[in-house]
Amino acid sequence: MSARHELGVVRRRALAALLGGLLLPAGLVGCGIPNESEVQVDGSGPAAEAGTVNGSPARPPTPTDSVEPGPFIENYLRAAAAGEREQAYARAKEFIAQEAKGLLPEKQQSSEIELTVVRLREKPEVTPPNNQGTSTVTVKVQQVGVLGADGTLEAPEASVTEYVFQLRRADPAGPGLLLTAVPNVLLISDTALREYYRSRTIYFWNSDQSRLVPDLRYLPSSVPAERRVTDVVKWLTGGPSKWLAQGVTGLPDGTRSINNATGADGHWEVNLTMPGADDKKLGLLATQLAWSLPELSGQLDLKIQNQKRQTVDLQEERRAHAAYPSGDRPARFSVYDGAIRPLAIPNEPRAAVPLAADDNKNVVAAALARADDQVLAALVVTGPDRRQRLKVGSGPDPVTVFNTSDRSFAALGRPTWLRSMDGRHAAGLVAADGKLYRFAGSAEMSLVPLAVPDPVVAVAGSLDGHRIALVSGGNLYVAAVSVDGGVVSVGPPQRLAILLTGVTAVDWLAENDLVLAGNEADRRPAIHQITVDGAQETALKRDIGAAVTQLAAYPGGAVGGLPSLSYMYEANRAAYRNNPFDTIKREQVLDVPAGSRATNPTAPFFLY
Amino acid sequence: MVTSPPPDSPTVASRRLRAARALWRVLAGRTARFAAGAHQTWRRSLQLRVVTITLVASSLLVGGFAYLIADKLTNILLENAETDVLLRLQNGSDYASKQFNLYSQPQEAQLQDTIDGTVNYLAGGDPAQTSGVVVAITADSFAGFIEARTSPDVQVRPLISAELRASVAAGNVAHQVRTGTLDGERTKYLVYGSPVPTRFGQLELYYLVPLTRQDATAADARATVVATGVALVLLLGLLAALVTRLVVTPVRVAARTAQRLSAGLLDQRMVVNGEDDLALLAASFNQMATNLQRQILRLEEMSRLQRRFTSDVSHELRTPLTTVRMAADLIFAERDDFDPAVARSAELLQAELDRFEELLTDLLEISRFDAGFAMLDSEPTDLVPVVHRVTERLAGLAERVGVAIELDLPDSPVIAEVDPRRVERVLRNLVGNAVEHGEARPVRITLGMDQSAVAITVRDHGVGLKPGEEKLVFNRFWRADPSRARQTGGTGLGLSISLEDARLHGGWLEAWGAPGQGAQFRLTLPARAGDRLTTSPLRLVPADATLPFGGPRDGGPLAIGPGSGAGALAIGPAGSGDRAEVAP
Repeated sequence: MSARHELGVVRRRALAALLGGLLLPAGLVGCGIPNESEVQVDGSGPAAEAGTVNGSPARPPTPTDSVEPGPFIENYLRAAAAGEREQAYARAKEFIAQEAKGLLPEKQQSSEIELTVVRLREKPEVTPPNNQGTSTVTVKVQQVGVLGADGTLEAPEASVTEYVFQLRRADPAGPGLLLTAVPNVLLISDTALREYYRSRTIYFWNSDQSRLVPDLRYLPSSVPAERRVTDVVKWLTGGPSKWLAQGVTGLPDGTRSINNATGADGHWEVNLTMPGADDKKLGLLATQLAWSLPELSGQLDLKIQNQKRQTVDLQEERRAHAAYPSGDRPARFSVYDGAIRPLAIPNEPRAAVPLAADDNKNVVAAALARADDQVLAALVVTGPDRRQRLKVGSGPDPVTVFNTSDRSFAALGRPTWLRSMDGRHAAGLVAADGKLYRFAGSAEMSLVPLAVPDPVVAVAGSLDGHRIALVSGGNLYVAAVSVDGGVVSVGPPQRLAILLTGVTAVDWLAENDLVLAGNEADRRPAIHQITVDGAQETALKRDIGAAVTQLAAYPGGAVGGLPSLSYMYEANRAAYRNNPFDTIKREQVLDVPAGSRATNPTAPFFLY
Repeated sequence: MVTSPPPDSPTVASRRLRAARALWRVLAGRTARFAAGAHQTWRRSLQLRVVTITLVASSLLVGGFAYLIADKLTNILLENAETDVLLRLQNGSDYASKQFNLYSQPQEAQLQDTIDGTVNYLAGGDPAQTSGVVVAITADSFAGFIEARTSPDVQVRPLISAELRASVAAGNVAHQVRTGTLDGERTKYLVYGSPVPTRFGQLELYYLVPLTRQDATAADARATVVATGVALVLLLGLLAALVTRLVVTPVRVAARTAQRLSAGLLDQRMVVNGEDDLALLAASFNQMATNLQRQILRLEEMSRLQRRFTSDVSHELRTPLTTVRMAADLIFAERDDFDPAVARSAELLQAELDRFEELLTDLLEISRFDAGFAMLDSEPTDLVPVVHRVTERLAGLAERVGVAIELDLPDSPVIAEVDPRRVERVLRNLVGNAVEHGEARPVRITLGMDQSAVAITVRDHGVGLKPGEEKLVFNRFWRADPSRARQTGGTGLGLSISLEDARLHGGWLEAWGAPGQGAQFRLTLPARAGDRLTTSPLRLVPADATLPFGGPRDGGPLAIGPGSGAGALAIGPAGSGDRAEVAP
């Protein structure tokens, strides 16, 4: 009994020794990082803040909105535009019957989704339903362009002028309709573009980083304000529109945004990757951003690879750095009796002619511009041989030194100064005998090669100096101008889809708008306003009665008593102005020396 | 004829069972033997005990300490990782929240792109450069609209447990350690989750940070701690063994020396090394041994001298005594011729000379015992005639004092290998004493034997012995009542000599007595010379002896149970409780 008890004691001791010996390593092995642990709560996470979202979630049109084939098709042409571009196919396909959905092949990549913008030339033509209940709708269109992922409206690729749609009843009994035959591209109408998109201007630097060149883009109006910054940054990193590419420089290669730009309430944050980013490049980008986001004020942090590199006060930046020199206060002039004379319009400033009186004669048309403290003057003068020559002078007001070109032409258009050049290296363009010529202060004219089939009859330069509008063969073109190292070269012109035919004159009416004169469908001359991409054309003046021969506008907006969108034109040897529409009367011509012939003022223009 | 296969034969089964049992027995036996051996070693070796205890105690201590350190280290590593990840997570959540706040509907197409971009951004962009951190954004509430995104693109679902998801979905920042395979290798991940508030609801952001480095560091630290701990414990054990050995070895030497001393080797001494406590112990021990040796030798010498003196005196007295005796015999023979007073003196002289002679004989006998010269001359002897002879020789004395001698002898001869002369002397002594102290009551002699021993009891009913006198009776010259005159023979050495005789046989001589109940002496001798005695065939306490408490009621049972002292028995009248009776 006691022996067994003692044996037990021994065993217990041995066990204790074993435990002591084994627990040490075993226990230590157990106390490493566990394979699994319980969920441990570190506290409650950030809670959602109630916020409002700017941006109008406009209800997209649906197939059930209309039971008439005509409006149904019009709705179809709006559907793709009404909302996020990524879902454009989904929205459009709601209109298409199941069996025909394959007719509209989808592009998977968001960047590949392109909307073909067409302008309906007339109401859709509907054939009555046949026995099967299907009807055909024929839509006559004008191709306006292709709206790409970066918001640009590129020149149209297709030349199709007529699209044919087929519809059937959605269900045999009901009134609903569905498409059974559709074109294989996503179509939207120009009205849908106006309705669901907002135009925005972003800016790119020209090659010597002296001027910002506007680039027109379209942003769905459903995008809330917070995301516009992101989109603008993405556009900027994506580079300029194709037609502008020659005249401007994009951001350094490899620049792209890192995720969305964030912020609100006057503080914004843009995170970018930019190879070789230095303060100069960032400063340029800051200016570019400030101008491309005109509605924003406050601070914008520029981060490169998450490192805050620059903080921009957007308003201050816009005030300190103009996008481009907007010139002096505009003043109206016209040619009266072979000489340039100022015009007196009520409530508007008047200016003296900045030319020496001796040189102010035999003028047919003129283009005056202010560059720095210089006045640039390009006059089309008629020589004794009845041929026209270009007379160019520059210098401080008044200009006294003039050069006259050696070559003479049967007809010279109104010259235009390229405002991108500084005063000492001034250059301009002029259409002469169907060709485009470049001239400089020496009045030496050199031919500018242009890929347009028809003679060039008019040219107009924009305020930024890097875009020109051309009239050739009754069509309107825009082109970019680069002035690399003082050498002016013109990029490939892009033809705009316009309603007018037989365009005769053009000028820049606003930053992104042109004013042009031509014939409407009923052959009657009219003046239209058109965006620089041709997307939106509106009539400004109809029933002019005679072809417009000269057209001049001030693109700088309302300045110094001059209403915005002011233009003047010459038709039937008389000058007219808008705001309000009126002829420019002889009495309004100032500084007319005694003994002048009584005539009408012609070739009106603005000096700015 | 179809025979079903014989069921597993019971013989086979039982054989197996037997084999198993045998094996079990062998094993159990071995284990028991081993355990017993271990136990013995444990009990015998102080060194083993000290080393074991040191090992156990230090193992526990070092183990506990090491556990604490390793645990602390691991916790610090994990906490650092958690702090880092939490910071990243908060920043990530803020960033993601800002990014997603641009969207008001989970259906918005660019939201998915933004989630992709955000995840990639938070993961550090280039998957090749990240340190295995996986970032995931999930949208459990918007599963239909938003796909979960992970960077690098791996399947993280299994690593994010349902509990963690639930906790994060409930708006908590929470974390968990999980083990799983993301990039081909099974790795521990710290999974951290945080809600990402957006305008349309809540998304979830998860960081999965591999704990490979922390794990490796913790393992390193643990290995170091374990190695150090084990080394420390072993070192402590070794130290304990050494120290104990230092102490135990001299103690063992001392024990051995003491054993030798006690065995009679009085010249054994310890080696004294150095001047420490153990050396002091050895020196003291040696001194003690020397003193003891001296004392023992002195006592031995004295004892020898005393015995020699007794022997010499006895021898020297014998010669004059013989002469005196011869003269006394002459006088005694002629006493009738003297006047009565002188005749009486002659008788007295004769009697006292007899006593003197007896005394001398006894003294010589005793001195022979003391000197170790007593020799046993054993031969197979029938004890019955010996008893008869003794009673016959003492019949006269018994008759004189009126004591009846009763004999209780077996019918068959009682043969034992004894020295008959000495046995007879012992019996004569015992019976003589009994007759002397019998107070006219009968004396009973009983002879009994069993296989290994023979026994003779002599019972008288005299005054008996007082408690404690059972041992004293055997002392030399002892008297129950010193004042009582020594009238009847008896030299006072009889019982001493009897005891020596019994011892010489390897037997026992014991006494029992109680006041008023007489006494009983029992001589027990081995049946064969040289055998060891274990029991006696006869009882020492007579059956008719009344018990100290007065005895049980007539015919009543006797209760025997555990007594108050260690190993003592209490005897008393039985109560009315459970009882077991022993049939006579």
